[in-house]
Amino acid sequence: MTALHPDLIAQAVESGAAGGGSAPVDVHTKIGQLTRQLHDSLNALGYAEQLRSSVGEIPDAKSRLTYIARLTGEAAEKVLNRVDQAKAQHDYIASETRRMVGDLVKDPVAAVAKGTIMNFLEDVERSTQEADVHLTEIMMAQDFHDLTGQVIAKVVGLAATIEAQLVELLIQTAPPGSATPQTAAAAAAAAAAAVAATAIAETPALASTPTPRLQGPVVDPENAVDVVTSQSEVDDLLASLGF
Amino acid sequence: MATAQRFLIVDDFSTMRRIVRNLLKESGYADADEAEDGVAALAKLRNGRFDFVVTDINMPNMNGFELLAAIKGDEKLKHLPVLMVTAEARKEDIVTAAQGGAAGYIVKPFTKAILEDKVGNILKKMGLQE
Repeated sequence: MTALHPDLIAQAVESGAAGGGSAPVDVHTKIGQLTRQLHDSLNALGYAEQLRSSVGEIPDAKSRLTYIARLTGEAAEKVLNRVDQAKAQHDYIASETRRMVGDLVKDPVAAVAKGTIMNFLEDVERSTQEADVHLTEIMMAQDFHDLTGQVIAKVVGLAATIEAQLVELLIQTAPPGSATPQTAAAAAAAAAAAVAATAIAETPALASTPTPRLQGPVVDPENAVDVVTSQSEVDDLLASLGF
Repeated sequence: MATAQRFLIVDDFSTMRRIVRNLLKESGYADADEAEDGVAALAKLRNGRFDFVVTDINMPNMNGFELLAAIKGDEKLKHLPVLMVTAEARKEDIVTAAQGGAAGYIVKPFTKAILEDKVGNILKKMGLQE
């Protein structure tokens, strides 16, 4: 197994401390050598490619997190707007009700004869219909939970992969005979696994390994290939297939 | 329009099951049950009477494509219309669903009007609704 040896680090530090004026150059050289050795070790162990692959997914993870931020923001905005409208209607009906009570107490016959009562009842009916529309929209806004849940599952999966690779790397590059880093790494991995297990148990989309072939929500439709971006495109595609 | 059709809503997110159930109710389809994945859905379908399946695709244990294949491969269930309601927006997935016998495909997020329209059209095609 190729591993970084702590003696190299110690040598670099010692020569830097004892080297007087040339110390910065020596340390620089030693660090360069260490970097090269780390690079060679990663390649030899096969981790370079794995890490490169994971790092390559980070921009996608950023897109996914941006998508989550956008969807949750839009949902909150939609709900607050609908609540504002519903409350305004509610205030109107409450105010009209108080006015109707006043009219009825003052002159019930006139209130009916002038059509005031009928107008009020029509207002109430219209308002309840509109309130129902607001409530439906508020309910529909909650679909972000499903969509973002699927996306979060993918980001958590990537984070877990990177963490596992880094922990494995730490174990593999620990000094020979040194149990402490491996123990610490194993403990860190166990702790991370416990936290992940709790999160996974509470989120349906995380509770199983998603089918790799399935992609989940399209987080960046402008740069996605061979995806539909609206229901009308779905319908067109199905129509072209004879459905 | 109220009908006597009994729906099974399949989705691993309870939020989405509630949304679909409420939308169906608002559209006049009040009789519905829920399942959290394909396995639970199949068990309910085989032990009860249902007329319509609305299912997600990306689910644990048994996904929507597998559920569709199981339904279409079962002599007693294959007549059931299956409407896919999913975030999977790849053309390949839509084609797969259509070729697998899905009656319709809705991409999330969707509106009440879209769900109502698709369900109504499928029922009309089957002669279950005027």
